[in-house]
Amino acid sequence: MAEVSLKHIRKVYPNTEKKRTIRGGSEKQHNLLVTDEGVLAVQDFNLEIADREFVVLVGPSGCGKSTTLRMVAGLEDISGGELRIGGKLMNDVAPKDRDIAMVFQSYALYPHMTVRDNLAFPLKLRKLPQDEIDAKVNEAAEILGITEYLDRKPKALSGGQRQRVAIGRAIVREPKVLLMDEPLSNLDAKLRNQMRAEIIKLRQRIDTTFIYVTHDQTEAMTLGDRIVIMKDGVVQQVGTPQEVFDHPANLFVSGFIGVPQMNYFDAELVRTDDEYEVRVGGIAVVPNAEKQARLLSHDVQSQPIMLGIRPEHVSLLGETGQTLHGTVEVSEMMGSSVHLHLVSLGQDVIVIVQTTDIMGARKEGFSIAQDVAFTFGGDLIHMFSKADERNLEY
Amino acid sequence: MASTKNSIRSATRRWSWLFLGPVVAAFIIGFVWPFFQGIYLSFCRFKLISDAQLTGLDNYGQALADISFQHSFWYTALTAVVSLVLINVLAFMVAYVLTQNIKGSNLFRTVFFMPNLIGGIVLGYIWSMIFDGILAAYNTSILLNTTYGFWGLIILMCWQQVGYMMIIYIAGLQAVPEDMLEAAKIDGATKWQTLFKVTIPNVMPSITICMFLSLTNGFKLFDQNLALTGGLPYIIQPDGSTVNTTEMLALNIYNTFYTAGAGVRGVAQAKAVIFFILVAGLGLAQLAYTRRREVQQ
Repeated sequence: MAEVSLKHIRKVYPNTEKKRTIRGGSEKQHNLLVTDEGVLAVQDFNLEIADREFVVLVGPSGCGKSTTLRMVAGLEDISGGELRIGGKLMNDVAPKDRDIAMVFQSYALYPHMTVRDNLAFPLKLRKLPQDEIDAKVNEAAEILGITEYLDRKPKALSGGQRQRVAIGRAIVREPKVLLMDEPLSNLDAKLRNQMRAEIIKLRQRIDTTFIYVTHDQTEAMTLGDRIVIMKDGVVQQVGTPQEVFDHPANLFVSGFIGVPQMNYFDAELVRTDDEYEVRVGGIAVVPNAEKQARLLSHDVQSQPIMLGIRPEHVSLLGETGQTLHGTVEVSEMMGSSVHLHLVSLGQDVIVIVQTTDIMGARKEGFSIAQDVAFTFGGDLIHMFSKADERNLEY
Repeated sequence: MASTKNSIRSATRRWSWLFLGPVVAAFIIGFVWPFFQGIYLSFCRFKLISDAQLTGLDNYGQALADISFQHSFWYTALTAVVSLVLINVLAFMVAYVLTQNIKGSNLFRTVFFMPNLIGGIVLGYIWSMIFDGILAAYNTSILLNTTYGFWGLIILMCWQQVGYMMIIYIAGLQAVPEDMLEAAKIDGATKWQTLFKVTIPNVMPSITICMFLSLTNGFKLFDQNLALTGGLPYIIQPDGSTVNTTEMLALNIYNTFYTAGAGVRGVAQAKAVIFFILVAGLGLAQLAYTRRREVQQ
């Protein structure tokens, strides 16, 4: 019942008030498009969100993700396009009539009310009978494990508890769509992991559509059914976590998703008849058949490219076969793996080596300035156009 | 270690009086001495301080029996309460409007605050001219009508103090987080519900401060009262004494001391002590109230 449809949604801040109204990191340098109308904070945003889907909007600060969410909430005017919730046009509907709820980064609890009153507030405004309010508040409190704090004021709660109350206030009236604006950003790392798991559990208990905004790619990957990656007000890619990880649409997405970041090399894509190979630092890597076919279907010609390979897909080798060489700069022991920072072909390269894979002599670790040989296969490489940074396969 | 600490401490002790001296002297000469002498004089009959003779509680009896003093007490209380309500309602409204991101709000803030920079006497004369300018058309004057005098003073007080209280309310309103108001919007609150259920409870500290400030301001008012009506008009009592109908407490004390004749200076002094107890009581009540709220939060 509550699919959300965004068609050609755009947000323009007129030039005069851009300084005041651009939210989320106005201190940083943006490449937002500025036209005669003003600053284009969100451009041509298209997305069909299915009922009960969990969609995550992710991107660096100032990319327009929060603005998009606030437009869905009704806190920002929509400059153009159509927003539909449950099939109904919502562009000019007041927030309270959209049947949505929102969780804010700052929790935004009412400090003068007890937790119980905070939870009951949206229900009281809807003039529900008192016994129904009590039942719903108690149920929400139980789901979130805050029953024992119901009579406290928010001030007497820890950050994690406050966040639960904020979520409770949002779910208590069973909204069609639950919007979350960086809800975990104010928590410390351990609590954030814990709350992330709780949101996954929460999702199984309540039937609603989620739109979740974060700048943290881990949150996006772990929570989302689908991820929308944005940059400078433009959607870069929409897909499942697996899709965006395996098939990044462009250089930005490939670098944004995945920790540590993907490694890049200047390389040359060479087409001989209908066979492609990638030449990088004196070796040639042949893309696998699938990639070959996709390149061919787009009739990609020989050209200089950015070759991307994820740190976990690089393997260390002996001196056999075709290898690249690098010098160890830093070796980070992470326990189950070692993150090896190399300099190779003038680039910083990170290699993740599983400790179980490290051979006898190297078990004690890698020494600084040591020369190592590494390679990667044609299955896992990513090829990006140097001209427009697009993934050449798509 | 211990000995250096001690020597520093003894040096501090030796020099402390040098630094404290001027302030302490000024405080004693300018406040403590006159204050206690004033209390002493309130029990005396005197023309000059040098010829004061103790008369016991006579002055207090006379002061409390004085109809004009009683009248000025009730008049002051009424003025203080009415001005308190009007000043705070208006100041909050102006502050609320000026925090809604409207154009030129900084200019308006400055303009509304400016009357506060004008002294009370000047303000009183300016407004008496304004009121009389209008009332002259109806062949009357602010000095001839108690009702006009009362509302004239209320208008003047509002004009002077709304800007000041507005600044305090603006500070309070700006401290209310934007997110919280947005949350209320999404939770389904109308503008009015947001104002009364979310905004106002969160500016309660500002409201408390402003209420007490305007209440004590109202009780202590003098210059404006003197310059606007000077207490006029007056009515003659059956016993021949007069009551100035727009005279507030401070002005009543002043008039008793300087115009009612040297014989009742002790009575004026007694009135001043009663006035002090009244204002100090209000001040202490404010302190107690704000302290209790701080503990609660």
